[in-house]
Amino acid sequence: MMRGLITLLAFISALFFPWPLTALLAIIAAMREPLVPLALGIFVDTLYYVPSALSLPLSTLLGALVTVLAFFVHSRLRTSPVRDL
Amino acid sequence: MKKIFLAKRNALFSSAGISWGASSLALALALLLLRLLAPNFFLHLVTPVFRSADFVSAQSHSFLSSFRDTAKLALQNERLLEENAALTNENRALAQKETVLTALLGGTSRGITAPEVLASILARPPESPYDTFILAQGSRAGITLGMEVFGAGGTPIGVVSSVLADFSRVTLFSSPGVSIHGWVGRASMPVTIFGSGGGTMSAELGRSANVSVGDTVFVSGPGQLPLGTVVRIESDPSSSVMTLRIMPAFNLFSASWVVVRDTGALLLDGLPHTTSTLP
Repeated sequence: MMRGLITLLAFISALFFPWPLTALLAIIAAMREPLVPLALGIFVDTLYYVPSALSLPLSTLLGALVTVLAFFVHSRLRTSPVRDL
Repeated sequence: MKKIFLAKRNALFSSAGISWGASSLALALALLLLRLLAPNFFLHLVTPVFRSADFVSAQSHSFLSSFRDTAKLALQNERLLEENAALTNENRALAQKETVLTALLGGTSRGITAPEVLASILARPPESPYDTFILAQGSRAGITLGMEVFGAGGTPIGVVSSVLADFSRVTLFSSPGVSIHGWVGRASMPVTIFGSGGGTMSAELGRSANVSVGDTVFVSGPGQLPLGTVVRIESDPSSSVMTLRIMPAFNLFSASWVVVRDTGALLLDGLPHTTSTLP
């Protein structure tokens, strides 16, 4: 339930609120759902990206970076003995 | 023999199998595909959402404003009305002066022949991480690639960088990588102004240049048009140049409409990447 709520909020934020808040929500969502930052980055670029403004779709790239980091952290936690405690 | 009953599970519709991340990624990719294949339809689809975002923003602003001191607001209102009246009179006098001068020089008055389109803004920073606008007018209204975009008071703010049938996208002069030529200071020093992102611009000048904080930056248009104001001067003793930080004269974050006009200026040359297949 919480996962769905934070994902939905992040997507709504991309339309209604300033982008720093959207970025923050994407990072929070990545803790439980690593794919959300990538999805959100693609969504933001789909809405706002114009190639003449910037050569690279920055939101997608940053989203992908956060997703990779989140997957890495998740995999480390999964194999960590701390998880069994 | 005891028969073990196993409940049939559908891999597609099982609630346990739903991943919010994967679902949102699929949705984002579907929307991206829609933008690539049918960009005009895609913007028609999201326009009501942008409009409701504007409505919510306006309502929350008025709600928060209601908490302010009413006496202070009344004083501010009175002062603004006086300022507005003074500026209107000044504007009338200048327009009259311009008409007389144009007649003396044998030219035609500007603004009568130049076609212009009034367009409402659907999306703007800071919701957009890029310094771009999405306008609710496109080629059907007469907007073409490279037209200049002006805010209230005729302040130049950007250039049309992508046009669809009913919508267009504007790259603002504050967008990183965008460069335009202008003048600054009382001596009208020529400068190249670069977009710095976040609605701001910057320019570099020699340390000996006579420029101070508060000076207006102008760009060419019909005459010299005010682009912004120098708000900070960064000067490193080890460097021969100083950096001017420029704030636009027009508030990009709360703009609701703009005027799109063909000035004939080759503004697309100032954009870092003008050729793309992305609509």
